[in-house]
Order: sequence, then structure tokens, then C-alpha cells
Amino acid sequence: MEDRPPHEAELLARAKRGELDAYEEIVRLHQTIAFRTAWVITRSSADAEEATQDAFVKAHAALPRFRDGAPFRPWVLAIVANEARNRVRSAGRRAGLALRVAEERRPDDAVPSPEAALLDSERREQLLAAIERLPDGAREAIACRYLLELSEEETAAALDCPRGTVKSRLSRALERLRAELGEEVQA
Amino acid sequence: MTDLERQLTQLGRELDWPPTPDLAIPIRARVTPAPVARRRPAIFRRSFAIALAALLVLAGGVFAAVPGVRHSVLDFFGLRGATVERRDHLPPAPRPRPPAVGARTTLAHAREVLGFVPLVPAAAGPPDRVFVDGRVPGGRLSLEYRASRDLPEAKSTGLGLLVDEFRGDLNPEYAQKMAGQATRIEPFTLDGEHAIWVAGAPHFFFYRAPGNAFEERRLRIAQNVLLLEHGRLLVRLEGAFGRARAIEVARSLGAPASKRKK
Repeated sequence: MEDRPPHEAELLARAKRGELDAYEEIVRLHQTIAFRTAWVITRSSADAEEATQDAFVKAHAALPRFRDGAPFRPWVLAIVANEARNRVRSAGRRAGLALRVAEERRPDDAVPSPEAALLDSERREQLLAAIERLPDGAREAIACRYLLELSEEETAAALDCPRGTVKSRLSRALERLRAELGEEVQA
Repeated sequence: MTDLERQLTQLGRELDWPPTPDLAIPIRARVTPAPVARRRPAIFRRSFAIALAALLVLAGGVFAAVPGVRHSVLDFFGLRGATVERRDHLPPAPRPRPPAVGARTTLAHAREVLGFVPLVPAAAGPPDRVFVDGRVPGGRLSLEYRASRDLPEAKSTGLGLLVDEFRGDLNPEYAQKMAGQATRIEPFTLDGEHAIWVAGAPHFFFYRAPGNAFEERRLRIAQNVLLLEHGRLLVRLEGAFGRARAIEVARSLGAPASKRKK
């Protein structure tokens, strides 16, 4: 257990050969980002859990078709997002984003980048409220690309659209957000 | 990156996301059997059968040329998950060595990861050590019991009792035995389930992992063994005990899930 986790490509190769330990390891590496992505789409922990489980089970069945050397995360996130969207469609309703800032966790858990100072609480509430008011598509784009820090490729996979479309959707979403915040477009 | 984008990124890091449940174990339980085994069992089984047939034809040819030596396989017994062959000629005896049992774990964890509910023989009490081998479709459980007054040590395992359980329906020919003429092979029915009692002279035993051909280095000498179909499971009990004690231990596993009505 103290060993460093093996490289993902090696884990994938082993999982392809049918080693369940390797696949379990892969799930552990990606379950948090997968679950949060599903949650951004379903906004329900139960639905997100189900969607993520089903997605990883389907991904396992599809492993023999997974191209060696390809990045696993965007691939599995596309499956997760698809499962999540199916649940949203069948549920027919969505709760609000209902995210809160983890005040008590901030000192040791948050890892602020050196260039970005921690947000003051007023700004955080403002941003969250503005995100809540966005239309679903724009909110998902913002949540995937910035809140979850997915790459453009992963965001495209999660939103089920081409990568070029992600850029334009994001730029429109940011504009809407600025409008919601009552701010001028920045350079 | 604009200020707004930076602030959004920062916001994401400070958010109280709903806690991620541990999905690895339930997912693992659902993905057994492994895709390789599920996708190609028929081919592997067939290739193994062809290889075995070729070997037997070859052996038959060799033996036919030697006066007094007849067919290699004299008898064949099959359960779902296990086969026993009686041969008049066995390969050279492998050295006794401990059984390959997989990764050590707990019963609670085994319950989570196996593709079946683990059965513990009440007559033997809680096992001393629990192992799971996840390379087998559905997983294979091994329960080890140290030797005791009730369960004398078997030379083959160094244990009082070794219980192996796996999904016989998913691994039709997983446990394989080769026995010579001095070994008793008794097929019988135990509470409506097929069983085979193999005892007397030590015999050879090996598990053939899915997708793998037979390898002689996997051969192990086994002592007295009860093989039992138990619902979807194949249960294998190995020890130095007699048939009556083996049956008593097997009965204490409880009824298969399909028959549990009362």
C-alpha cells in the first residue's frame, strides 16, 4: 500500500488484461472528478453516484476498444457526463447548484495558486449567485472548465460538443456571467 | 486568463463539493467477470480442449507403443467448475508447496468484492485467514484454517482445512484434478447437489486461470478433497479429514441461496 501508484498507462494495460486490482486503482484515481462532473450535471448526489458507477462499469466493458496511449480521463468523463445527462432527462427536474464555500476547510484544504489571492467572502457569494442565474448550458460550461478545472478537451467531452464549440460557449458564458455581475468585459 | 477566470478557478477550489462516495469497491464488484474472460471464454476453452486432446493423442500414441500401458485417461468426472480425471500415468510429482490463494483480506472486504456471497462453514468456525483472488471471473475466495484437534494438518497445504469458493457457472472448468489409480474418486449427491470425494493417494490439482493454458508448474499435490456444487458456486474443501467430516463441514456452509426458503 505504501508503493507509489503505478503509471496510469500501465494500470490501463493491466486492466485490459482483466486485472481487477488495476481497474480499481484507476477508479480511485478518477472517481472524485468523475463524481463532481456528474454532480454538476445532475445536481443530485444520488444521481451522480449512480451515473458515475454505471459509467465506470460501461467503461470497463469498453476497455478492449480503448486506444492504447490515449488519455483516459476525457474518455471516461464523456461516458460519465452522458450517463448523468440521461438521468437528468429521466428525472425531468433539477435542483439549484446549491454549492457553498467550505469555510472550515479553507486553511489546510484549499490550495490557492500563488497568483490568486483567496476570494473574500462577499466576492464568493456574488460569484456563486451569478453562476446560479446562468442558463443550464452556460452554468455547466463554467462549472466544468473553471470550478472543476477540466481541460478544454475534457470540458468538450463532458459537454458533448466539439472542442471548438467549447471555446465559443465558454466565451459567451463568461460574457453572461460578467453581465450578471454587472461588470464590464475585461481585456 | 482573465481576472474573472482566475476567480472562478479559485472559487472551485474553495467550494464545499458534496463528498465523493468510495465507488471503487462497488464498481469492482459489478465489473467481475473481467472483460477478457467474458469476451472469449469459448475460444479459450476450445483451444485448451484441443491442446489437451492433442496431448492425450500423443500420450496415447507413446503409451500404445509401450507394452502393458493403455489409455492415459481412464475415467472422467465433471462438476460445474471442476473436472477430475483418472489416469493410469501421472506427470512427475511436483514438490509440495503452499497453495496460491491470492491477496489476503478480511471477510467483510471479500463480501464487497466477490461476485457471490462468501460461505463460511459453521462447523469450522471463523477462518484464520481470508484470501481473494480477483483474477478469476466472480473472484475466488480462500479460507484457511490452522490445524487443530478436529482438523489434522494436511501435508499438501500445511493447514487443517482449506476452503476455496468460486463461481462455477462462470468458470466451468476452472479446478482440474488428475488422479492415479490408487486414488478413490467417488461422485455422489449431497442434499441434491453434485459432489465428488477424492481421497486415498494424493492426486494432482491445478487451477486454470481464465485465458491461460495448462502449465505444469501450477500443479500441486492435493490431499483429501471434497468438490461440491453449491448453487452457482463450486466449493472445494481440502484437508486430512475423512469423508464424513468433509460432508459435515460442507453441510455447515448452509443451503445454496436458490434453495434457502425456510
